[in-house]
Amino acid sequence: MQTTRRQFLIGGLAVTAAVPLASRSANALGEPGAFGSRGDADERVLVVLQLSGGNDALNMVVPGRQDAYFKLRPTLALARGSLHRLDDDFGLHPSMGALAPLFADGRASLVHGVGYPQPNRSHFRSMEIWHTADPEHPPGTQGWMGRIADELAERAPGSLVALHIGDGDLPLALRAEKSFTPTLRGKNGLELRASAGPTRVARDGLLARDGRGELAFLRSAARTTYAAAERMGAIASRASKSDYPNSRLAERLALVAKLVAGGFGTRLFHVELAGFDTHSRQAPVHAALLGELSGALAAFQQDLDAQGVGSRVTTMVFSEFGRRVEENGSKGTDHGAAAPVLFVGRTLRPGLHGTPPDLEALVEGDVPFTTDFRALYAALERDWLGVKPSTKTKPLTLFA
Amino acid sequence: MGHALLERWKPTREDPWDRSAASHLFRRAGFGAGPRTLERALAEGVEATLESLCAPRGHDPALFEGIESLLASGNHELLRAWWMALLLGDGDPLGERVTLFWHDHFATSIAKVDDVRLMHRQNLALRELGLGDFRKLLHALAKDPAMLVWLDGNENRRGQPNENFAREVLELFALGIGKYDERDIQEAARAFTGWGTDGRRFVVRKDWHDGGTKTIFGKTGDFDGDDVLELVLAHPACPRFVARRLIEEFVAVEPERAVVDALAGELVANAWSIRKTLRTLLASKLFFARDARRARIASPVELVVGTQLALELSLAPLEAAEAAARMGQALFRPPSVKGWDGGRTWINAGPWLERVNSGLAVAESFASGARELSPAPRSTADAARTALDRLLADSADPELARAVSATAEAAASPNAALGDALALILTAPEYHLA
Repeated sequence: MQTTRRQFLIGGLAVTAAVPLASRSANALGEPGAFGSRGDADERVLVVLQLSGGNDALNMVVPGRQDAYFKLRPTLALARGSLHRLDDDFGLHPSMGALAPLFADGRASLVHGVGYPQPNRSHFRSMEIWHTADPEHPPGTQGWMGRIADELAERAPGSLVALHIGDGDLPLALRAEKSFTPTLRGKNGLELRASAGPTRVARDGLLARDGRGELAFLRSAARTTYAAAERMGAIASRASKSDYPNSRLAERLALVAKLVAGGFGTRLFHVELAGFDTHSRQAPVHAALLGELSGALAAFQQDLDAQGVGSRVTTMVFSEFGRRVEENGSKGTDHGAAAPVLFVGRTLRPGLHGTPPDLEALVEGDVPFTTDFRALYAALERDWLGVKPSTKTKPLTLFA
Repeated sequence: MGHALLERWKPTREDPWDRSAASHLFRRAGFGAGPRTLERALAEGVEATLESLCAPRGHDPALFEGIESLLASGNHELLRAWWMALLLGDGDPLGERVTLFWHDHFATSIAKVDDVRLMHRQNLALRELGLGDFRKLLHALAKDPAMLVWLDGNENRRGQPNENFAREVLELFALGIGKYDERDIQEAARAFTGWGTDGRRFVVRKDWHDGGTKTIFGKTGDFDGDDVLELVLAHPACPRFVARRLIEEFVAVEPERAVVDALAGELVANAWSIRKTLRTLLASKLFFARDARRARIASPVELVVGTQLALELSLAPLEAAEAAARMGQALFRPPSVKGWDGGRTWINAGPWLERVNSGLAVAESFASGARELSPAPRSTADAARTALDRLLADSADPELARAVSATAEAAASPNAALGDALALILTAPEYHLA
């Protein structure tokens, strides 16, 4: 079964028809839903992968035909021949070989020049803007994903609608008013430390009581948590169906895949890859990060596809800003503005969208934004998750 | 003006100064108490205990040594550990409690300020002024460099006002939503133009200041930042706002309007002294009411420090601070300018497991003999009694006590019994109420 799928995927590269691969696949294999149906809106999952620190997107999606690129980056420019071709004008960083085939077979897409008016070059503020979808106001009590979580939680009470997978504090994007979002740190998710049998029995007996006020709340939270930890433990012990590279990001995405395939019920995941603030000696660090990103993402989609849930998951990859086009004196780059946003999934409108950056027409040395990030959020909200868009920005057509 | 609930609580035979009352006082005015502190408080009585808690106290000076090399490192985890060392040291329980309260109130985060020296300096200001005159505290925080960076003082200039700071002064620091309108914020922001930082110093940039006429709360003048703060302090909502925050923090979540008004009156009558106002509040019938005890969910810092004090753990400050951060309260890094929402928002699957897992780790360390209680329990029954006595002496839950005794007495040794008893208690929801 798996072999067939892999063969088909490789064969799929040759398919050049305008018909998106996902819908073609079912027919080609004569197996409706071989990759899982696109699913009802209430089964779809959004994974947001945050590249923290400001990814140098110009060395990720490289404008290999623009002379200005080579002129402004005497030491950092990547040789045209080393790139993985995306279209006539752009290629992926040499270390992103794993992800390149997904662009070729329609399982990855990107939008050029995503940002917002009056770009803020502070990590903190710009991240805040992306997390709240509100450049004009200081953050309130909800992030953009938290707002969705609140709406989804109302439809599925008691489920863990959103999960944060990482080391740090809960990202602002996931702050919600009604639903709660745990942070999963280990590769096995929620883990309850073992304790002696008799204390466990006594504990569960005591917890079964209801009580009043805050005590009742805590008992109920404890019961829910232990049940979720048990269910997650069972799911996390399943085997992955692709070979993940050995990296933290891969470990985290592998857990996401298990939770989706295992039917845990979470709809929103926030995962982070940090270290993109490359002010000096950027090249080796950036290559390693992009390699980690590419390898983990490709294995993740492979895993989802092999488990038959590939069509239910869309992954968005963003960073708080791109970096200055001209490299600085330390073989690095400083904070910039707009940058492409990547998408991975089986139901995307394939290709490179938006207005490609023109390095002859920079604003204050930066790539200006041509697509408002809120148009992407609106598409994910309306067309993918089936919730009310949080902004008035017109949704971009992201899906086939 | 006064209110019956703010009258001094007098212990009676039915409502005595006992372990329940005393441990309640230490949990709220500080972060809990060890067995020796509690015994002394019970022997000395409520008056003397309150007197000692509310008197100016000092820390072991050793805790302030080496701060310069810590600050030079620029490492905010070390700064967090420094504060945690002061909390764990328990040298000034009310001082620390109030410092943390103001850190939550004037919530400023290293995430944006990105400078441990500025965060440290703000913390020193909070501890120096926190129990004093609120008016001085507000003026000092408005000129605090970390605050100015945090709320964009440096972006606020004539012709291009940035409302961030002005808005939060009115909404979160002094008046509360509904006591002003958007126009007041815009005008106040104009008055604050020019207040900023130069390096790590507060500066007034005269050429950035908008010297024009402003109208705030219906009063008109060529106000500057200090004038706005005086207008805010003269607003009748201000003492009520501060009084309400004090009651929410130290007593219960939803205070009655009349009690808030009465405590606001106390605050003004005491020349805005937080120490004197708190002294009234902590001695009151409102504070010692039965339904105020163990009525709210302990914050991570309360839980970590409280467990250390009750079990005399000698936790490493760095690890204790990290544990609290994993549970959702990273010192110097509140989630937003609103501070920590607290209450039920402390609890969800992730933080609850952090609480439970760290409790189980503590229990294991006693079971294995890596840690010992002094005096060590002599029997399994003694282990159960000691554990209950240290952690939940005031609990009114006989079922929990029975379950703890039964589980511990079935254990193979006093150490194992102590481990089992602690595992049950530290993971019991009752224990997470403060």
